[in-house]
Amino acid sequence: MGLDPADETEPGPARGDPRARLDALRAQLAPPMDDRTPRPVLPLGLAELDAHLPGGGLALGPPHEIAPAGSADMIAALGFALALCACHLSRVSGEALIAAAPGQPLPYGHGVAGLGLDPGRLLLLEAGSDGEVFRALEAALQARALAALIGLVRDGLPLKPGRRLQLAAEGADPPLLLLLRPAEAGMPNGAATRWRIGAAPASRDRFGTLDRPRWRARLERCRNGRGGDWLLEWDHAAHRLHLLEPLAGDAAASGRSRA
Amino acid sequence: MTRLLRAGLAPEGGPLAVAAEGPGGLRLLALDLDAQALGLRPGEPLGRVRARIAVPLRVYPADPAADRDALLRLCRWACRYAPHVAPFGPAEASDGLYIDVAGASHLCGGEVSLVDDLADRLARANIPARVALADTPGGAFALARHGSADRIVVPPGGAAGALRGLPVEALRLDPGTVTGLKRLGLRRIGALDALPRGPLARRFGAALLLRLDQALARRPEPLAPLTEAADYAAARGFLDPIGRQSDIVRTARDLMAALAPRLERDGLGACALRLALHRVDGAVRALDLGLSRPERDPERVAVLVSLRLDRLGRALDAGFGFETVELTVTVTGAMPARQTDLGAGSTGDGVGFLADALAQRLGRALLRLEPRASHLPERGERGVLWVAGEGHGSSADQGIGRVRARLPPPSAGEGGTRREAGEGSDVSGSGVTLMTAGAPSCTVAPLSPPAAQGTLPRAGAREMPGSDSSLASPWPDHLPPRPLVLFPRGEAALDVLSTVPEGPPRRFRWRAQIHRVAHAEGPERIESEWWREPGEPRDYYRVECEAGHRLWLYRDGPHAPGHPAAWYVHGLFA
Repeated sequence: MGLDPADETEPGPARGDPRARLDALRAQLAPPMDDRTPRPVLPLGLAELDAHLPGGGLALGPPHEIAPAGSADMIAALGFALALCACHLSRVSGEALIAAAPGQPLPYGHGVAGLGLDPGRLLLLEAGSDGEVFRALEAALQARALAALIGLVRDGLPLKPGRRLQLAAEGADPPLLLLLRPAEAGMPNGAATRWRIGAAPASRDRFGTLDRPRWRARLERCRNGRGGDWLLEWDHAAHRLHLLEPLAGDAAASGRSRA
Repeated sequence: MTRLLRAGLAPEGGPLAVAAEGPGGLRLLALDLDAQALGLRPGEPLGRVRARIAVPLRVYPADPAADRDALLRLCRWACRYAPHVAPFGPAEASDGLYIDVAGASHLCGGEVSLVDDLADRLARANIPARVALADTPGGAFALARHGSADRIVVPPGGAAGALRGLPVEALRLDPGTVTGLKRLGLRRIGALDALPRGPLARRFGAALLLRLDQALARRPEPLAPLTEAADYAAARGFLDPIGRQSDIVRTARDLMAALAPRLERDGLGACALRLALHRVDGAVRALDLGLSRPERDPERVAVLVSLRLDRLGRALDAGFGFETVELTVTVTGAMPARQTDLGAGSTGDGVGFLADALAQRLGRALLRLEPRASHLPERGERGVLWVAGEGHGSSADQGIGRVRARLPPPSAGEGGTRREAGEGSDVSGSGVTLMTAGAPSCTVAPLSPPAAQGTLPRAGAREMPGSDSSLASPWPDHLPPRPLVLFPRGEAALDVLSTVPEGPPRRFRWRAQIHRVAHAEGPERIESEWWREPGEPRDYYRVECEAGHRLWLYRDGPHAPGHPAAWYVHGLFA
């Protein structure tokens, strides 16, 4: 701090406070690329989860990858993505776009309504290939007309489209961007976070019938953050996720013991 | 037919004939003058003709497709006289065309000079033709086919007198009716017209009277014109043909900028555009651009054209370049001026532009889910095209998204609207402005969202017919849980084991995997829609496997002893 003589002339009240000095130093050392204003995020409403994510939530703009834990968990991954989407749409106005490559599961309107997401706010695009999905998402990012984008791809996100999506998301007011990819293929790409979702036995209501869906969520990779394992429950009425417990062992077993 | 051969495929001179497969072998279809001089008539069997005449007869096979193409080319050429040109249909033997010269004849200096000009040009092009101009298409057809001269112009209102002496074949009747009439001694249209109508209709059907009325201008006859005359069109020709994409895009923008003030004056926007690129060698590439909402901004149109050309890439074969670029507004929609907010534009606008951009770039449409009033899960929803101003979230605004079919322009002529047909026979009519009604006009009706499923309209909440129902969600909220993903049809679950025969399964095999059921709920019985197709009622169960996956299974039909019912997986829960 004392290296620059200009600093000596700065007003003094912060000088004594080490924390304020540290902040000032951080601000000076921050790379010029990084915009000073914090990126808008979607907080998940769970302190344990948000603490793992930089900025306190899922960053809006850069893509987030969601992969099923196994080949049978694709629907659970789709449910998790739609739950995040419902979370976001409950805060902002606008619509969500789902662009799906051929062979990927398209959501059923009544089921979407059951997750707490209004199907009237969903737009569907049946693309002909992964490339078309990426092009559609890029166009939607540039148009800035939609609140959330979900891409369902067949082969995963390669580096180049990932970088293009990242660039298209630069700027004000970006939407939430989620990419569902199959379980395999985990090459490095431009994704901000990488989730792996598996199905878990649902919670039971007081009559013993199936109530709220639960998912085993693993944050595999997170830029500027830490990974983690959680068992999440989706509350479709309140549009929020509940945390059951950090996983200590077998997720299904712990979920069942709780149920 | 012969006209096609004159185009250079057949040598000059000598008797020529076109033959096609008919009853009893090949029969003559068309003849040139030399062959007609030999006494040949269309319809004669080819074998007998060959035996009769001593001269070698050159025979060519008939090619209806090429004939049709040639006729369409001629129709396009005839658009120089008036925009509404219709080729003859099967009822008129497909060898002529109608021109609706209503309000256009003054451009050639009157009807007589128009007919002269048309006939002269056809003769110079070596196309034998008979031209007639009358009040109605039927009348003009009759005069061109059976009239006394090659060029006939009937003054307005004179159709009845001119047609009186013509034979009844001129009415475009089917051959059975013609023979029937002749057997009764009714050979002339005048004799037919003098009879009481009731017995005629009883004996020969309504078609006879319809044709008679159409010829005598008592009933209107809509034509199906080749191209709709566009109210809004602009074209630009180039001395040096253009071929670069940027040039085409810039031209499209300029043309749209030329059209925009006219659209604005009429309070309209373009809902569909056609960009026609005329190549130097005569080929025409037409690009149709559909828009999700009325638009008249040249920049946006330019972006869409550019995206479309991007997608076409090399498929747009520029050849030696395009010499004319033509932009036509094919469908218009009301686009009232409205006040825009400063700053934040409405989101519906952005989504609309995104929908258009995706449609041009990928050729794919944005879909919206819409509930349907059906209890069968697979019929409970459908994807409908996203239309601006509908559904949720998007700003529903004034009349946008409501598209109307293009109405015919108010005819400039002072009541002397007339039609004319050229080539082989030609015709025309008066005062009929119904042409667009018979044409395949593209009406993009707004998709009206269906009423809420199974719910009665609440008292006082009756919807206005035109109002947008985007205020209340039409999705029913009283349904039992439905899966997140539904298969179009159930996938068979095999090796089903149940503890009780009519209960849910304990174990089953699906997609080559054994699933053990940890928890099952149900049944929810859904009856088949017997009014559509018969089927068994289905008993649906929600089951949770030990691995945590939740499935939606159903048994097709009730359980019967000794007759195990089949099980299907119909959907998956999140």
